[in-house]
Amino acid sequence: MAGSPSPLTTHVLNTAMGVPCSNMALSLYQQDPSTNAWSLITTGTTNADGRCPGLITKQIFTSGVYRMRFETAQYWESIGETCFYPHVEIAFTINDPGQKFHVPLLLSRFSYSTYRGS
Amino acid sequence: MTSADSSPLTTHVLNTGDGVPAAKVDVSLHRLDSKLMIWNMLSVGTTNEDGRCLGLVSREAFSPGMYKLRFETGSYWENMGQNSFYPYVEVVFTITETEQRFHLPLLMSRFSYSTYRGS
Repeated sequence: MAGSPSPLTTHVLNTAMGVPCSNMALSLYQQDPSTNAWSLITTGTTNADGRCPGLITKQIFTSGVYRMRFETAQYWESIGETCFYPHVEIAFTINDPGQKFHVPLLLSRFSYSTYRGS
Repeated sequence: MTSADSSPLTTHVLNTGDGVPAAKVDVSLHRLDSKLMIWNMLSVGTTNEDGRCLGLVSREAFSPGMYKLRFETGSYWENMGQNSFYPYVEVVFTITETEQRFHLPLLMSRFSYSTYRGS
């Protein structure tokens, strides 16, 4: 892909089966600090490694609140299972957009976790 | 200790960064109106010294559907004089079997959190 890599990355892992979550739909939203309205920045689907390159460009990656939404039930249904969580949304605050931020999602049918990585 | 919580839905918020229950975290429970596609707030409360918030919902009101538990985690860390990566945490889940008990803990630090379906 041309251009510099996204300063924001994710990695979705199926911890129940010990594999990356491939083909999971996700979307990134940015909150307008003056109106608090959310706008959609990008939609994507995880690749075979559970990653989704190109989430955002450095130019529009400003300080503020973001929200990443993962279509988790849809993913589990596509492999013939149900999921307790219809979707997972992770809201996070970026104070220093010069850094790299890694927001992974470790997911099973009945649990999930996330952390701020780099 | 306090009497057992009769709510079929319970939570427990733990500050894994400091190894203590997270007290005074504002928690709200919402249910999705699937016809109007809007969230209705069912209850709001604050975690006690043990990180628990009793009486989230009654058996009678606990119908099948999509629910959301929202934790004001950003305010919790601010009140401790610290910042956090997450301004709040929302856990959205689907309830189909309302006779069961659902325990949805939140284990959190300033830069991570996890949740699971317990009983």
